Amino acid sequence: MKIYAYGIIDSKDTIDETIFGLEGASVYNISYRDIGMVVSELRQKLQEITDANVLKHEEVIEALMTKSTVLPIRFSTIFYTKEDPFSTMVFYYQDFKDNLARLRNKVEFGIKVIWPVETKKQRIIDVYHKPEGNGLASYSQSHKAEHNPERIDLPIPFKEGSNVSISTESSAKTFVKEKFHEHIIEKEFQEEANRCIQVVDDYFNRIACEKKLKRLQTESLLLNASYLVDKDRQNEFKQAFEQLKNAPSDLKFLFSGPWPCYNFINLTKRPSSVDYFNSEDMLGRLLKTQDL
Amino acid sequence: MTMERIIETDSQEAFIQEVEKVQDALPSRINANPKNVEKGLAKLVLTLVELIRKLLEKQAMRRIEGGSLSEEEIEGIGETLMKLENKMKELKDIFGLKDEELNLNLGPLGDLM
Repeated sequence: MKIYAYGIIDSKDTIDETIFGLEGASVYNISYRDIGMVVSELRQKLQEITDANVLKHEEVIEALMTKSTVLPIRFSTIFYTKEDPFSTMVFYYQDFKDNLARLRNKVEFGIKVIWPVETKKQRIIDVYHKPEGNGLASYSQSHKAEHNPERIDLPIPFKEGSNVSISTESSAKTFVKEKFHEHIIEKEFQEEANRCIQVVDDYFNRIACEKKLKRLQTESLLLNASYLVDKDRQNEFKQAFEQLKNAPSDLKFLFSGPWPCYNFINLTKRPSSVDYFNSEDMLGRLLKTQDL
Repeated sequence: MTMERIIETDSQEAFIQEVEKVQDALPSRINANPKNVEKGLAKLVLTLVELIRKLLEKQAMRRIEGGSLSEEEIEGIGETLMKLENKMKELKDIFGLKDEELNLNLGPLGDLM
């Protein structure tokens, strides 16, 4: 018999209403002191991740959220003995308590932003190659002090009229020059990304309690952000998105929420080899997962 | 669903595509077996060499940007970087590795490069 875990709740009481989890099994609470882990029994090994299973996991967590604060556990977390959920709670008790207190009455919203990466890059390259872009001052402090997207200056060694002309330039110098062009374009690209992220974040930052911003996970995916929001301020947060959406821009948005706070659980304690994953325990786990 | 969830987007397809790309990047691990152990090891070593090469290159570009280098120094850096890059290309060819393969997934920290 395996035990499938859904979440940690701030209650040691048995769950009154019937909630069905994976394989249609009823969920129940394994309590430790004043907290509990909500689980259901699993007969089979989880063969594959199906949409139905993931949705079921989510549904159970949401049902729990109507009555308790929930720390959602990652999909497909399975314990192999009845003692394991208990020892996990013993080990992480203080971490779980801290998170439960911090996340009480909070929900999570997600914002993903796609930007027109090719257009942005081309614009930077075009500015860079403008004849007047091969400017007089060196590209450095002046650029940082005052951003001027219409003009990108070259550093002194690459300026027109420097004593090495292109025809007699060594291959090493040409190589550096090309690398330097790439470097400046990349730098400008990163700065442009930061500016765009700042614009988006400004809409939500003042409403959210916490945020996690992942930038440029792919070149097109400018931002993948999660915001932690007070339940009372959900509508305000949704309105902020309406404003952002209606503002003129070339960005595409995916807004979703409210969600359980998947991205805001911070564990300070790490399992050490001595008191949690000792080698025997690890071997035991490995043997069990082999289904000998 | 018990929560009044909103999922709103004007470009569903584009987001599905990007999210899949992010997920694809996650489960990369080095598969070592007697047949490919040499390539696996080369991949690991070259990944680290490539990381150092890129750091050197970045540092050089910053110094050029700062304007503290003379023409001769820039020339010297150029030659070094060029040779390094060519050597890396050779090694990648020998072991049949592509640029995008030279990366390590550092779990929650994301990719090395």
